[in-house]
Parts: sequence; structure tokens; C-alpha cells
Amino acid sequence: MLLIFVGGNIIAQNDETKEETKKMVDSLVKEAVAKQGYKPSKTQFMIRGYGHTGFAYTDTNGETESSFDGGTFAPIFLFKHNDRFMFESELEFELSDGELNIGFEYADAMYVINDYMTVRAGKFLLPFGTFMERLHPSWINRFTSKPLGFGHDGIAPGSGVGVELRGAFYIGNTKWNYSGYVTNGPTLKDGSEEPEEAGMLSFENLIDNNNSKAFGGRLGFFPLSDSSIEVGGSIYATDGTGEKGSDYEDVSAVLYAFDLSYVKQIAPISGIIDVKAQYNHSNVDRATYFDPEDGDTYSFDNQSQSYYVQLSYRPTMAGNDFVKNLELVGRYSELTTPEGAEWESQSSQYSVGLNYWLSWRSVIKISYESTEAEGGHGGPGITNIDTFSIHWAIGF
Amino acid sequence: MKTYKIISIIGIFAIIAIATISCSSTDGAYKNIDPESTVALKSGAQLWGENCVRCHITPAPSSYNSTDWETIGLHMKIRANLTAIEAEKIFEFLKSAN
Repeated sequence: MLLIFVGGNIIAQNDETKEETKKMVDSLVKEAVAKQGYKPSKTQFMIRGYGHTGFAYTDTNGETESSFDGGTFAPIFLFKHNDRFMFESELEFELSDGELNIGFEYADAMYVINDYMTVRAGKFLLPFGTFMERLHPSWINRFTSKPLGFGHDGIAPGSGVGVELRGAFYIGNTKWNYSGYVTNGPTLKDGSEEPEEAGMLSFENLIDNNNSKAFGGRLGFFPLSDSSIEVGGSIYATDGTGEKGSDYEDVSAVLYAFDLSYVKQIAPISGIIDVKAQYNHSNVDRATYFDPEDGDTYSFDNQSQSYYVQLSYRPTMAGNDFVKNLELVGRYSELTTPEGAEWESQSSQYSVGLNYWLSWRSVIKISYESTEAEGGHGGPGITNIDTFSIHWAIGF
Repeated sequence: MKTYKIISIIGIFAIIAIATISCSSTDGAYKNIDPESTVALKSGAQLWGENCVRCHITPAPSSYNSTDWETIGLHMKIRANLTAIEAEKIFEFLKSAN
């Protein structure tokens, strides 16, 4: 009897041990599978971007028009291959004049060489000043428009195809950042296709039109230890802009820019002050162009300049939630293009706006803008353009 | 002449790159930073407040998960020209607070 009792207990204990072991193994397997499932890989793919839509009412020398803006959608693709290597690209889909325009903003590969150096290659936003590289996306730009001198027919380059070296470092307690690049450079419009734009630079030089490259760079400096002020200087130069083999091949160009940023929360005024400014200057060699209207040639001193100054205030320390999300913003900009050119113009623009921030990346912008332009695309005489707009922009 | 100019400028870039790689290490972003310097004494939260706001409103840490912050961190480090120590502190703060 004793033997049967002891033997029975041993068999029962063995069954229990097997059951417990099985449960333990199952548990460990489940845990391992769960961990495996949630473990992030070093390779990551993200789609971010921004978009905006709105309404604009425009009065051009008394002729009015109003329209809802079909909107812009700008997806940004980020592919992180590892902690050092990344690919980024942005497309821009825009409805304009009843058509869908697709822009190829940038597509470049970036590699972090070390703590102080990163190399980029491909089509990238140029650090010529700060507006086009950092501030132009609609969810960052405080206005619905760009300042004079930027964007289409602008004198400042926005992007280029080439190679760039950039980075940032400290010297003592002061911070510096730098960028140096080589790109295909600009193309000089010689007037053969658009006589009214002869002498203008085009920066959409995806395939180089000659063997001259553009060399450029920017140096930024933060004089204060709280990084509230950044001043920067940029240069962009090439010794040839015209079509290879043409009379314009050796027409050189030197552009430079200065930029300023001041952002600081100031307790006595209960909010954040944000000042942005940039000055651009373009100097292209004098050349002779043909005027098909009178069959004669002409030349001019090909220098252009533009600048903008922007001030905004957000009462971030206000007690009321609605008030603290408001932002008052004002901007003034000017553009002067060469005297004697078919595209000679003198323009000035002021803009005022009231923004409401729905979140850190979503804003409703209500703005009024007045532009006075003499010459340029508006033809001879003075053109006054007043625009009232309301836009919603979101970054995602 | 232009070709020589291009080659010489690319050469200068290459020399600077090689010299910098040789003289610096990527093992530990804080290695070449004075521990008493202003940036070394600043917290990630402080650097987040000082740097992001230069272009846009500071993002909430909860906007993305830690994996996404790593991708965004690399993108913004390059775009905003953040130093290595700034990027490391800012994105460690965002990941720890999300």
C-alpha cells in the first residue's frame, strides 16, 4: 500500500512539474514574440509634410477678384537607414489656375560623418539666408505669401543640385553653424525664349547647362548663450551662367545675403517676440541682349536686391487659453530689379496679420497685404495690389 | 582653368573632412565638450525650448513615439544645424517625456 501511495505521488508530482514547465515555456515564448513584435528597427520610414487651403480677395488697381484656394499638399518622405544615414524628399502638389502643378522640392541623401560634419548630396534646399531653407513651409511661414524676392521670379536661390557639407559646433560658449556646397548653379535667361526676362537668373538647373559650378556657403553665429539671436552671412558665386558655347557662357554671378533671427520670451510683455530679417543682393556680369521688338541690342547693370523684416508677438504667458494662442504679425519687404532691364521693377509690400494657433503645427492665418509695384510683369506704371486672405495651414 | 578650380575646392573640402574625421570621435557626443560649458549645463528641456522655437512652435513630446522621434531627430539635427550635444539632449528629453 505504501509503495502504491508513494509511487502515485511521484507520478502526480512529475505531471505537475511538466505542466508548470510547459506553462513557463509558453509564457517565455509569448513574451519573446511580443518583444520581437514591438522592437523598433533601426531602419525607419516616415511620411510627414504640410498642407494649406484658404480664401483670398484681391484688388488690383480697382479690379477685384475672389477665390477659394484649392490647396497645397506637400508630403515629405523620410527614410532613416541607420543612425547616420538618411534620405529625405519633398513633393509639392498645388492646384493653380485650374491645373495640378507638381513640384519636386528636394531629394537628397544625408550622411553624418561625425559630430561636426554632415554631407548631403542630391537636390537640396540651399542655405542662402534662412527663409527658403527653414521658414517657407506654410505651417512655419507666418503669412500666406513669401516676401518679395523669394519664390517664382525671386532673386534668391531656393534649391540646387550638388553636394553640401554642413555642421555646427561650439567655440567656448558661443555656437556656430556652417555650410559649404557645390551645385550646378543658375542658368542665365538670354532672352531667346522669353525676351522680357533677358538677364534674369533661373535656379532650376537640374541638368547643368555648362561646366561652371556654383560655390556657396553660409556661416551662422549665436552671440548669446541662450541662442536667442542668430546672425548669418551667405554667398553663392559662379563664373559661368550661360548656355555652353553661347556668348553668355562666361557671364558670372555673385550673390550674397545676410540674415537675422531673434526669438525670446520676455516676461514684462508676457509673450514671445520673434524677429526675422534677410537681405539679398545679386550681381550678374553686364551682357548684351537682343530686343526683338525694335531689333536692337541693349545692356544694363545687372544688379538686384531685396530684403524683408518681420516681427511677430505671441502672448504665451497670458492667463486666457484663447489669448495665448493668438499671434500678431507684421512684415515689410522690398525688391529692386535692374534699371534698363525688361523686367526692371521697384516693389514694396507691407503685410499685417492675426494668427490663431490651433496646436503647435496647425494655424489659421488672417492677413492683409498691400503691394505697390512699378514696372515688372504689371507693365509700365504703378500697380497696386491689395489682398485679404484667410488660410488654414497644418504640418503633419 | 575652371576644372582646376573645381578640383582644388573639392580637394580642400576633402582635406577638411579627413582632418576632422581623424581628429574627432563619434563615441560619445559629450567627449569634446567642456563639462562646465553653458551647453553642457543645460537640460534637454531647456535646449528644446531655445532651439525649436527659432523656426516653429515647440512640439509637444507626446506628438510622436520614441521611434518616430529618432527619425525626426536625425532630420532636424541636420536641417536646423543642431550640435551633437544639443540634438542628443533634446531628443532624449522628448523620448523620455512622451
